[in-house]
Amino acid sequence: MIGSLAQEVGIPRAVDEADRSRAFEAAVREHQAMVFSVAYHFLQDRAVAEEVAQEVFLELFRHWNEIESREHRIHWLRKVASRRCIDQSRRRKFRNHLSLEEAPEPVTFMPATDPMMKRYIEQLLAKLAETPRLVMILRYQEGLEPSEISDVLDMPVATVKSHLQRSLALLRRKLSFATREGES
Amino acid sequence: MTEFEDQLRRALERKEPSADFTARVLARATRSRRMAWWFGWQPWTAAAVAASLCLGLILETEHRRREQQEGLAAKAQLMQAMHITSAKLRQIHKKVKGSL
Repeated sequence: MIGSLAQEVGIPRAVDEADRSRAFEAAVREHQAMVFSVAYHFLQDRAVAEEVAQEVFLELFRHWNEIESREHRIHWLRKVASRRCIDQSRRRKFRNHLSLEEAPEPVTFMPATDPMMKRYIEQLLAKLAETPRLVMILRYQEGLEPSEISDVLDMPVATVKSHLQRSLALLRRKLSFATREGES
Repeated sequence: MTEFEDQLRRALERKEPSADFTARVLARATRSRRMAWWFGWQPWTAAAVAASLCLGLILETEHRRREQQEGLAAKAQLMQAMHITSAKLRQIHKKVKGSL
């Protein structure tokens, strides 16, 4: 780490702090889209997602000396962002209590290429329960494998796979209804 | 990867936060570092104040105890002096009575 290395070679504390600030700023710039997007796709509120993302980066700042590498930092950010999203969701009772199964079909039907479809998928994802929603975000936003998701969320791989299968089946059913009706 | 999963991936593309996001994070980090510095010192300050108060209390108690002891000793001396005076007066009284 920059901080501990600077201390070992005896660089004055002010220089050490400046290096740390620069490294932290670079890390924020590099990972802000990832952290913000996890929060945004989970919470579906831009302002709240930014607040959560800021909290995640402040926590990174406080634990800066514990981070060993870029990969460790990415893993750490995904893990903390996931936890913060669930905390935020529970605290604000953000989630609509309607389950995905109960979610209404779209009022107007749309072809698969319609940009409205993208928004509709986002809305359907927001109706998933907290854990499956996070699993889907980590799988399709971050492109993580089930084993990596199980690492981030501290749950068995089998549970991750089960969440993925069930969520995909539910979403597919909802979407196939929407697109089929749109085509006909 | 199925068409459906591609749709999911497109719907969940990464998004950028607002333009001033980095600046706001850095400002909050700076504030939090200053507060950490203050709270880092605060336990030492509190410990020093508490130690000073304890020392003051001990000195004050000791001072009062000494004053009390000195008062008691003075009272005992006074009582003794009064006993001696009383005895002397009784002797004088007897002598005066005998001579009459």
